[in-house]
Amino acid sequence: MKINLQSALKNEFGFDSFRPGQETILKNLFSHKNTLAILPTGGGKTLLYQMYGALSRQRVMIVSPLISLMQDQVSRLQYLGSKRVVALTSALDYQEKAVILKHLNQYQFIYASPEMLANEQVLRQIKSLNIGLFVIDEAHCISEWGPDFRPDYLNLGKVRHALGNPLTLMMTATATKTVRQDIIDHLDLESTSVEQIVLPVNRPNIFLSAKILSGQQEKDQTLIDLVRQLHGPGIIYFSSKSKAEQAAVTLSSQTDRRVMAYHGGMDTQQRFHIQQQFMDGNLDIVCATSAFGMGIDKDDIRFVIHYHLPANIQSYVQEIGRCGRDQQPGLAILLYEPNDRYLQMNLIDNTIPDRNLLQYLYQHPKALTNEDQFRVIKYYYDHGYSFDQATAVFDHSRERRLSELTAMVRYVYHDGCRRDELLKYFDETLSEDQKNSAFCCDHDIDFWGHWQNFNDKYLKQSEKSVEYRPQSWHEVIDKLFLLKN
Amino acid sequence: MELSILLLIFGSSEQFRRVKAIKNTLRGRRTVSNLYWALQYDMLDFVDSLHGTGFGEDEVAVKQLKVHGLADTDDNFQFKLTAKGADQQEKYLSRLLPLKYLALGSRYDVAKFMRRFSFAVQIVSEFSYTNNKYYPQSINYFEDQLLKRWFVQTKHTDLPAQFHQLLNGFLNGLANDELANLFVQSLVGHGFSGLTADQIATQAHSDVTVVNLEWLQTYGVLLERVLKLPNDNPFKMLTVGLEKPIIAQSAKETFEMFVHQENGSLNTIAQKRRVKLTTVYEHLLEAAIMLPVTKFPYKALIQPESKRHLEASHPVNVGSWTFEAAKQEIPDLSFFEFRLFQIYRSKSADEN
Repeated sequence: MKINLQSALKNEFGFDSFRPGQETILKNLFSHKNTLAILPTGGGKTLLYQMYGALSRQRVMIVSPLISLMQDQVSRLQYLGSKRVVALTSALDYQEKAVILKHLNQYQFIYASPEMLANEQVLRQIKSLNIGLFVIDEAHCISEWGPDFRPDYLNLGKVRHALGNPLTLMMTATATKTVRQDIIDHLDLESTSVEQIVLPVNRPNIFLSAKILSGQQEKDQTLIDLVRQLHGPGIIYFSSKSKAEQAAVTLSSQTDRRVMAYHGGMDTQQRFHIQQQFMDGNLDIVCATSAFGMGIDKDDIRFVIHYHLPANIQSYVQEIGRCGRDQQPGLAILLYEPNDRYLQMNLIDNTIPDRNLLQYLYQHPKALTNEDQFRVIKYYYDHGYSFDQATAVFDHSRERRLSELTAMVRYVYHDGCRRDELLKYFDETLSEDQKNSAFCCDHDIDFWGHWQNFNDKYLKQSEKSVEYRPQSWHEVIDKLFLLKN
Repeated sequence: MELSILLLIFGSSEQFRRVKAIKNTLRGRRTVSNLYWALQYDMLDFVDSLHGTGFGEDEVAVKQLKVHGLADTDDNFQFKLTAKGADQQEKYLSRLLPLKYLALGSRYDVAKFMRRFSFAVQIVSEFSYTNNKYYPQSINYFEDQLLKRWFVQTKHTDLPAQFHQLLNGFLNGLANDELANLFVQSLVGHGFSGLTADQIATQAHSDVTVVNLEWLQTYGVLLERVLKLPNDNPFKMLTVGLEKPIIAQSAKETFEMFVHQENGSLNTIAQKRRVKLTTVYEHLLEAAIMLPVTKFPYKALIQPESKRHLEASHPVNVGSWTFEAAKQEIPDLSFFEFRLFQIYRSKSADEN
């Protein structure tokens, strides 16, 4: 199949150029090569399979781990112009699921959670379709040694065979060599038959900085000072919903910026309004939990501030990657006070079952439901792990998370180049001539002494934020509907 | 929504009212007990009108009313509005549209209509700018399909102009610019992202609950307008499947069987319907509460002897007469007959 990818990109999707790696991956797919792609956040993963589907006119099946992520991806695909999209998730009720399964052949892009694919009825229906491309998003979830292990992902090798071994695209933002090999092995593919495309994690247009503060009061005041002055749209990340809400109220009243909170506890319509306002430039800042930003492509975000410490460097890199997508300068700030470490440690304690809970569940296996919190325990129980073996697995998991947290804290206290420290985690190094010391991190320049100058020099006010906004109902309906006459 | 505000709106300064009964009436828990109290509080028109809405804790709401001197409360989570509470109720009622526009939610799923209409506006707004690159609102599968079909079938009819005209007529008809401005903020479209209820409440120094009630009411007015349009009007399809039954389906079947069998034995109905006899009683009581007094065969279900005793013994306020008290007067009385009689008397008084 001879396809001019550049002109298809322009004509069908309206983009002038590919993002790094996209063209090579597409060429691989059109040469029918199974591909493992390590693309950074915002690297344009969706476009890959959307374009393959559109140009080959084949059906694409995408496996994705989280309902919220899938919903964002469905929106994103619809946003990019594909309308025959459906998601098979546990959020569907019985009737919805039955109707969708009956009419599955009407859809070109089918998203499914790995648990759905473990259901025989679902798999039978999918087998009756011709799947041209099998996509595994967040493929690192397949690795028992990765931070987001999802037992249901282990089933995907069998699913792939059941579907007649279609062309397979495995994607993730970050994966070490071990995890990459795990992905290939679990999908029952030969290493030699898989093309690996690994893109650099480094984002040279994002300036890295962190500040250690004496306590929460000082941190709050620093946040207010920053928000008052920093130009452009920004995101502030929090680990807790209530703190995100509280900060949104404080920042709205103490600065002249338009600030709203956004988190998973809010109703869908409310979240949609806030997302749209931010996209349209009617909001300057969103105080968010990690639920915000996964499916959103807003390219003029100028800064990302972390009010709380993220769980690991991988999450941090993903979250700061949401600024500066337009390739203009962006700023990443991490605010830290010593107690923040304990907040994360509590989160670890709350997500990993302790010995007592594990013992109780092993003695009362009926309590092991498919709820998220028990899913992993159920996997080990069902696979014949003894109590001691399971305990060892979770102890190991806790230790790993603690060591990831330690690496995150080390990043905060690091007194060398922050970029080197971040990239080290991904086995990536930069040579001296690849670095721009004038725009790298707060180790190379006295950022905290002159951040206002940095702000004026690099962070440009977005044009969108000064757009006209209709006020009265007459103006609103005139704006909403562009009439022919 | 904040329960304390709803309690103020639906409270009384003359009668102690049960917090749970008001909450359950609004969210459509159709137990005979809830429906009975809804009848006593003149709230039958509001059954299920706030279906699917989250409310706060009863305890917190009652405490709030008490602390602010808005209501007197007793140990059984009952409350009665104080003079200050009645004043506050008056303030809410004068701000809101007449409550009949909230009651519409009992007969039609207004909240669903709101989501549908708002999504339809987004689709048509982007269509009018020939833009197909946008994030659509998140709505469930069936609603999504309905809107897709609707759009495909009607897009040739110059929808942007029709929407403009419909909204212009409707918003002018409200004759209240403040409310019309509030309504349009619920919409999203090309280059317009509306406001959340919190944002409006902050701007207008109002309560989020009041803003949400105002939205439901204005969408109620809009829905009434759309329902009156001819069947071939493109907006009519947006009202498909919104109607709610007055009586729950199962109760309706029991009641119809009873009427069909010309007042046959309740035991036979229980067998045929494969339900317990007590369930048959509950279904018939639900029908009695929800139907006009003339449409329910009270005579066939209250024995003449019982009726005579009940008529002779009941207190002035038959609604708050307890079964225990009635039993002392009429030892053979069944709860079913007792409750039916109460319903009959309450409804006769209301409908006369």
